[in-house]
Amino acid sequence: MAGVIGKLYQNVFRRTSSFVLAAIFGAFMFERGFDMVSDGVFENINQGKLWKHIKHSYGQQEEGGDEEEE
Amino acid sequence: MLSYIGRSCQLAPALKGSTQAVANGLKNVIPASSQVRYAHTDVQVPDFGAYRRNDVQDPRAKSGDTAASRLAFTYMMVGGGTVSGIYAAKSIVTEFVSSMSASADVLALAKIEIKTDEIPEGKSVTFKWRGKPLFIRHRTEEEIAKEGAVDVGSLRDPQADAERCENPKWLVVIGVCTHLGCVPIADAGDYGGYYCPCHGSHYDTAGRIRKGPAPLNLEIPPYVFAEDGLLIVG
Amino acid sequence: MATVGRVSRGATTFLKVSPSAVSLQSVANVSTLKNGLNGKKTFLGLLGVVGGGAAGLAFALNESVKASDLTLHTSNFPWSHNGYFSSLDHASIRRGYEVYKNVCAACHSMKYIAFRNLIGVSHTESEAKAEAEAIQVKDGPDEEGNMFERPGKLSDYFPNPYTNDEAARSANNGALPPDLSYITSARHGGENYIFSLLTGYCDPPAGVQVREGLYYNPYFPGGAIGMAQALYNEVMEYSDGTPATSSQMAKDVATFLKWASEPEHDQRKRMALKALMMFSLLFAITYYIKRHKWSVLKSRKIAYKPVK
Repeated sequence: MAGVIGKLYQNVFRRTSSFVLAAIFGAFMFERGFDMVSDGVFENINQGKLWKHIKHSYGQQEEGGDEEEE
Repeated sequence: MLSYIGRSCQLAPALKGSTQAVANGLKNVIPASSQVRYAHTDVQVPDFGAYRRNDVQDPRAKSGDTAASRLAFTYMMVGGGTVSGIYAAKSIVTEFVSSMSASADVLALAKIEIKTDEIPEGKSVTFKWRGKPLFIRHRTEEEIAKEGAVDVGSLRDPQADAERCENPKWLVVIGVCTHLGCVPIADAGDYGGYYCPCHGSHYDTAGRIRKGPAPLNLEIPPYVFAEDGLLIVG
Repeated sequence: MATVGRVSRGATTFLKVSPSAVSLQSVANVSTLKNGLNGKKTFLGLLGVVGGGAAGLAFALNESVKASDLTLHTSNFPWSHNGYFSSLDHASIRRGYEVYKNVCAACHSMKYIAFRNLIGVSHTESEAKAEAEAIQVKDGPDEEGNMFERPGKLSDYFPNPYTNDEAARSANNGALPPDLSYITSARHGGENYIFSLLTGYCDPPAGVQVREGLYYNPYFPGGAIGMAQALYNEVMEYSDGTPATSSQMAKDVATFLKWASEPEHDQRKRMALKALMMFSLLFAITYYIKRHKWSVLKSRKIAYKPVK
């Protein structure tokens, strides 16, 4: 672990330019990851209540629909 | 500043003592009361373990061996803060900038859908689109043939018929005369297309200016033909 | 830190007052309040707190026995969107729309909600389009300057059952059915109030006279409401087959009206979750950096020893 971190320090963090580049690149990755995780958590909390969870039960023509709910 | 005052204060008697000691060393008149102690064995050094990292918890450990990893960890935290700060700042900026874009109710009116099968062949129908009249003409075969045969070089605003009509059966133009903005009358004028009553501009069935003061052809809005005969303008 | 502060205070005084030794202890004594004064202050403060508390308690006790209003306050129902991160139940919104369309829309308008708002909330685009086309909208003027009727479009707003407020009043014994677009935000209790009101119709208690054309509802301020009970069991049918009991319909329509008042409800809670996650992350990092930066200051000891 210490070795990896040391390498990281030597190659990335020591130079301001590479540090800034790494931060910007990391921000792109982080945005994707964070949005995915937080949306996932929200949809997990509200499983079955959001439109995306019930959308499939309303096709072209609404017919009966067997989604049962509360 | 705090520490400076504190430190100089603390040293003041010592400095005084030492000058005295040097100056008067030969004369041997150092008073017993101004004794100076340089080895601070009476100052208890507190335990700073809570502020030490694990790598240097042992005071005998060489700090140089682990300096890179300790620095890297701190830089990683700073980098993490920068990354999440960039994300937060970007979200806020996007939020504010997107508040300047058109609102949903405006966007909802920006497109109109037209059922083309309701327009009989050879007829021009007027719709309202973004506050302007919109002419949609279902052209007959002979109109298509006539406009296709026109010599493009002879036109004031040279445009071939194929350039103006994506689908030759349908002409979609904004019904505002390019001269002074009047609304032309459909199926009128010398060329069977549109005729502007204000100053007598004649347009053909491809909406091109043929006679009169108008400088340009009628404007064509962006449109697409969707499936099952639906025309979406906007 | 305390050591540094006191030493520097002592030191500055030392520098200002005289170069000879002023003991730290004496400086401390001069600069603090006398003990006697302190005690008096504490007593007065305590008296104020106790007196204020007693007055508040007396006021609250007095208020609690007053028969000031005869309105029944709604209780808090366990809505599925009650949690800090709980979204609205969209199946319920969809049923609520059906209730609104079949029951409420006969008298109540919702002039700020357009058919396009239903897309992605309770209906697909084609369904919303079909809903819109089912109504006739007055449009115009056409080339001849006449107004004409056309089928609704997605950009059209929900139709108003009356042409204007006066027509609405005259059709309802002078009572104006309120627009329901923002009703849950406009009433105390919000969706709880809507549910209680819709299910709370009952016979007036002994001694309460309700005028002709009015109905008794204990949840309505004043008790007499111009709206008759609208929701009875099986007054309509749900397209998804849910049994249409009056409480089910009241719950669904209250959820629908909650959505109409706060269409950003789900997005807001999603943002709250994201913001809390983000801020806890930033807090942890900030705390680390603070400790890192302060460790130099915190692990320094500055001592002052006066010359005897």
